[in-house]
Amino acid sequence: MALPLVGLIIGISLGVFFPLTIPVEYAKFMSVALLASLDSVFGGLRAGAEEKFDNTVFITGFFTNALMAAGLVYIGEGLGIDLYYVALLAFGLRIFQNLAIIRRYFLRK
Amino acid sequence: MLKLRQGQAAIALVCVVLGFMLAVQFRTAQDIRSSIPFQRIEDLSQRLSQTEKERDVLLKQVYELRQTTGAESATKESENIKMGAGVVAVRGTGLSITIDDSKRLSKPGENPNLYLIHDEDMLKVINELWAAGAEAISINGQRLIATSEVRCAGPTLSVNNTRYSPPYEILVIGEPQTLENSLKMRGGVIETLQFWGIQVSLKKQDIVDVPAYKGAFRFEYAKPIKDGGK
Repeated sequence: MALPLVGLIIGISLGVFFPLTIPVEYAKFMSVALLASLDSVFGGLRAGAEEKFDNTVFITGFFTNALMAAGLVYIGEGLGIDLYYVALLAFGLRIFQNLAIIRRYFLRK
Repeated sequence: MLKLRQGQAAIALVCVVLGFMLAVQFRTAQDIRSSIPFQRIEDLSQRLSQTEKERDVLLKQVYELRQTTGAESATKESENIKMGAGVVAVRGTGLSITIDDSKRLSKPGENPNLYLIHDEDMLKVINELWAAGAEAISINGQRLIATSEVRCAGPTLSVNNTRYSPPYEILVIGEPQTLENSLKMRGGVIETLQFWGIQVSLKKQDIVDVPAYKGAFRFEYAKPIKDGGK
């Protein structure tokens, strides 16, 4: 559990010291991609807890989820449908589900 | 504590990326929220330095006027008046700005007018430029003078009673950095225009030639007041 936390702290401090801001237009894409990766992390933690973790599945899942989510927003913007909310809802639900399962494991030990 | 037996490294790696994205997104959101007071501060400090500069120029002018004789100051003043009226071509540092209609197609049910350049957009840009200390502006070769209009004429833009279609090229003389900043600030004119996909490109230039006003002045109703009008 320590290593991911260390990674998170490294990432945050990198982001804080890196002088990079995203144009307002793209903030939406970024937020969805962010949620997708958050979902991936929770999924990974759950799989790790269940001892079903597969490295390739996890890494590919992370990238495809983030890209697909951003792509969905882009397509939605072209079609005039707010597919943004679809991604938000799906990832949000999954995060809470995974969190519930992780919590059970946490409580059982 | 939850024991992770597998995939620690991979999750840690992803956590680095996640943390990075979190921090950047956080800052972007904060930036958007806090940009208004920042603008205010920048605005005020800019105004202060501008006023100080104006004061220095005026002091110098007073000094010069005291030194020179009447005839010399008259020729200088007439030159200044000519430049201000826009009847002589001028050269200096500045910007060239190109503005074109949006290439984006409007979504069904949306007003396609939103994606076109209107007189309001041009006026906003020009107003911002004057405010940032522009000394001379021309649109597609038409010098803007006191009586210049910038107005929609169907799908075209009428400047000095001459019609132009996009793209529009604006030439400005002034302090290039100040001019650029005035347009590019967060929540500013360019950001608003780009939201609708209108293409704006700025180029700082060392030499900008702004042409003279080519038309004639006609005064039908206005007459000068003889006794100075003070």
